Amino acid sequence: MTIAREKPKPEKPIEESVEQRFRRLESQWMEDTRFLSSSTQIKQHPAFLEIISLGDVVVPLMLRDLEENPRLWVWALPKITGENPVPAADQGNIGKMSTAWLQWGKAKGLQW
Amino acid sequence: MGQGQGASVVNHLFEAFPKLIANRSEVTSPASEKYNCIAWAAGDTQRWWWPEASEDIFWPTQIPSEVTIESFAEAFSTLGYVQCADADFVDGIEKVAFFAKHANPTHAARQLPNGKWTSKLGVSEDIEHELRDLEGEAYGVVVSLMMRPTP
Repeated sequence: MTIAREKPKPEKPIEESVEQRFRRLESQWMEDTRFLSSSTQIKQHPAFLEIISLGDVVVPLMLRDLEENPRLWVWALPKITGENPVPAADQGNIGKMSTAWLQWGKAKGLQW
Repeated sequence: MGQGQGASVVNHLFEAFPKLIANRSEVTSPASEKYNCIAWAAGDTQRWWWPEASEDIFWPTQIPSEVTIESFAEAFSTLGYVQCADADFVDGIEKVAFFAKHANPTHAARQLPNGKWTSKLGVSEDIEHELRDLEGEAYGVVVSLMMRPTP
């Protein structure tokens, strides 16, 4: 007699907070792109694109990072927000771009 | 690697660049996202250089935003560099070397007054090294050299 075995139920995935997911993706992105100089390749990395897809909720997290050091989040912020507060003369200057975004965040009343 | 560098810093560089040899290479500054290898080779630590037609990247005005060795050569010609034949050290001359993988530019290094070379490894550290110790899977090989009088 065959005993029907109940299929094991898939384990409920451990839910990540937004920040946990953000940091996991950040870690993967940085690990895979750390030695690249091509901005195109860095921006096209799947983890970077997934971070952008998280939307406005990660903007404070990025601004928090920018307060500590100039970061390439300045490449993601225009895509997420649809805005660009960086003066044309500062094109490519990651430090000045970071400052411009921090000023933008404060003007918007964001908290991080 | 030079004295005082953490094991984790050394390990990740050796893994990516197997030709790097501890007693002839050294980490010379910490990781930074402010500038990349092309910027460092051009002497710029404030901007990210790459021929991407984008308002958030720097590339010399009027130089085609094309990811080709020719475009990189044109960009560096704006800094006074001209093509040269070899990587030999010449007193009073500063050289830069461009790496490519399958004809796609990947990296640039600049020669130091002591004859060694300096490279910024993406967002990672600057290192001092022998030129061809960075050849390999990550960056390909040296494909072009340029020179100018040392500023």
